[in-house]
Amino acid sequence: MDMSSHPLLSALDEPAPFPSQYPQLRRLDRSMVCQICKEPFTGPVTISCGHSFCSACIRSSLEVMKKCPSCNETVTEGSIRRNRALEEMVDAWEESRPTLIDLAQPPRKRPAPPETSHSKASLSSGVKRARLSPTGSANASGSASGSRSGSPTKSRRANDVVVEEIDENEDDVLELTENDEAPCPLCQATMPISSIPLHIEKGCPPPKAKPKSNGVLGKGNQKADWKKVFSGQGLGGKTKEVEMKRITKPNYALSSPADLRAILSEYSLPTTGDKPTLQSRLQEWIILFNSNLDTSHPSSLSALRAKLAESESSKRRDKEKGKDEVVNQLASKDGLAKYASVKKSEFERLRREIIERDKRRKDAEEGKGDGKENAIEVE
Amino acid sequence: MAAPLSSRRLMKELNDIQAKGTPEGIVLLSADSMEEWVFLISVLGEETIYRGETFALRLKFGPRYPIEVPEVTFLANEQYQPPLHPHVYSNGHICASILGNEWSPVLNAVAICITMQSMLASNKKKVRPEGNDRYVRTAPTNPKLTRWHYDDDTV
Repeated sequence: MDMSSHPLLSALDEPAPFPSQYPQLRRLDRSMVCQICKEPFTGPVTISCGHSFCSACIRSSLEVMKKCPSCNETVTEGSIRRNRALEEMVDAWEESRPTLIDLAQPPRKRPAPPETSHSKASLSSGVKRARLSPTGSANASGSASGSRSGSPTKSRRANDVVVEEIDENEDDVLELTENDEAPCPLCQATMPISSIPLHIEKGCPPPKAKPKSNGVLGKGNQKADWKKVFSGQGLGGKTKEVEMKRITKPNYALSSPADLRAILSEYSLPTTGDKPTLQSRLQEWIILFNSNLDTSHPSSLSALRAKLAESESSKRRDKEKGKDEVVNQLASKDGLAKYASVKKSEFERLRREIIERDKRRKDAEEGKGDGKENAIEVE
Repeated sequence: MAAPLSSRRLMKELNDIQAKGTPEGIVLLSADSMEEWVFLISVLGEETIYRGETFALRLKFGPRYPIEVPEVTFLANEQYQPPLHPHVYSNGHICASILGNEWSPVLNAVAICITMQSMLASNKKKVRPEGNDRYVRTAPTNPKLTRWHYDDDTV
């Protein structure tokens, strides 16, 4: 088929590759890509065999099979470790890539096409590429809690753990005193620096003055807490707020739908549906939530919830589409004929069975009303 | 609205195919949507028992691709017939571990085609699998619902 102008590719916002005379740059470009999603790493992690993937990718993959996708070695989710060096490398690479692409163009005056394709790529580049744009537009959308500081570098630092916070204090650029306010490295709530250690110690309760956007869910959580108390688990968590701590997977085989609903409501997620629905929703949420803890550019909880809802609805669409296809096929005359020819022997067999069954029943119920038989004849 | 993970990944694969082409003997016949692609597969070389034959391999991708394996069958219609092979049933279903427990999300559509091509290339006898008729009579439409048992690694 003609691949030069494939309609499906119009939606692809792939940035322009490096010119072919720079194989080493192409290789470097490839090395920044997760082998599962084939996109630049998001929250890269390393597993016990040494291979690295996006946190969300490998977590989803391990959900299906407990093997490394690259080398087949048996691995468990417990061996996942955040790879900060790789994350820094990918960030730096994404930042310098446009410059390098420019530098890689031949020095002589180039005709317009490659130039426009590049500028188009950097303008419309996908989710991942966009987040590093210096305008910080992607960054702003990620900080729905409204407590993040403005500059991309600073907010990235602020999300890192306490150890790196000390680094920042040593920086001459930012001279902070005890009374200055700073975002908590874990939950991003702004508060005086001196109170941050105690705040973390307490498991990041929200600051009293500023109720967070998800403060409304107090009631739902209370309900969940009571459910926990009644089921003999105790309260477990120290606070009612969503803890930015890895979720431990429940044992789905032993959990009742109510158990799953309790966990879901803890993170203010929909609690509708039967057990398989609840389970797949929770599984997906745990992947989203836990992998969000493996990155220096975490999304807000509401963004994660939106992502979950989006993937759930796309799955539903997919299911219904398959159904529609079959129905549509049967609606057309050709499709019906085709279906009939494929299933002819099966139809025949079923028809014979029904006729025989009818006959037996007729023999047995001789003399009774005829209305029933009409209902059975489905030929 | 962001495209689902599967579509983004498939677009990249399509882009790759467009840029670099497919390996010899493998041709992308149709990719009208991000759900279903059809490749034409022929076996190269002089000593193959499938000389001159072309088969159509259909890949159906779910929303969880590449975490989950696509649904892969040889087309069985007026135009294309599935190859006579001890691991390929007459309804086009394929018994191959790469389509089951050995699937890995780092693989892609072209990798599946290459595996099928080499599976055909290494075959020496044109026979249907044992119990073909019984299987075809009762098989589900989706081969992923069949519980496969992978025992023969000679072809």
